[in-house]
Amino acid sequence: MRTPEEKLLNPRPGSKIAEAVRYGLDLTLVVENLRRTPQQRLERLQGAMVSVEKLRLAMETAKAKRRADRK
Amino acid sequence: MIDIEQAIVAMASNDVEYAVIGGVALSIRATAYITFDIDFAYSRSRNNLAKIAKALAPFNPRPRGFPPELPFVWDVSTLSKGSVFTLDTTIGDIDLLSEVKGIGDFPDVVASSEKIDLWGFSVNILSIDGLIAVKRAAGREKDVPGLKHLEAIKEALSDEGNESN
Repeated sequence: MRTPEEKLLNPRPGSKIAEAVRYGLDLTLVVENLRRTPQQRLERLQGAMVSVEKLRLAMETAKAKRRADRK
Repeated sequence: MIDIEQAIVAMASNDVEYAVIGGVALSIRATAYITFDIDFAYSRSRNNLAKIAKALAPFNPRPRGFPPELPFVWDVSTLSKGSVFTLDTTIGDIDLLSEVKGIGDFPDVVASSEKIDLWGFSVNILSIDGLIAVKRAAGREKDVPGLKHLEAIKEALSDEGNESN
């Protein structure tokens, strides 16, 4: 019997997994997530939220600075 | 940005009857999905509304987009007057839904959920099948990647004999 990881990394033609890969999804991220506990997955999600928020703030700051420099 | 641990621990430690649905449930199910809020399905029993009011009160919930100059009272009476609440709180955005499209009302959501241990509490989390039903019912283009993720994960976790080919 193939493990979930084997199925995700080597999908059978015509399977839902193959369909997802063809759609363009990166299932290696799912493989990594399946190795984590549910709580670890949420802690990782929280970290991703913080990173995106920092990036958004940095972009806003840079935009504001550009506007100020133009004046 | 929601503080997931604080939101779940607040609900669980106050013995609220609830289930985690939406993007946070998707992440728990191993999809590579990012969300910034948390969605809870909840029971509308009077006793449960009192527990929700108490659980979230420390985070000053207010309806999202509600003018800050207008008064808003967060209590059982307010909760009893609605069924869907989109809240802005000091720990981030929290949505409360008494019904979930594609699933039904709270008992149906619980029946479509599984208990998962998080931060010392046993928490109802909408199942992969439940999340698939919700995404199919929504029928939105933006849900297609999430739906394909879920179908792939469901297939990966199924017995070999159920692997479609």
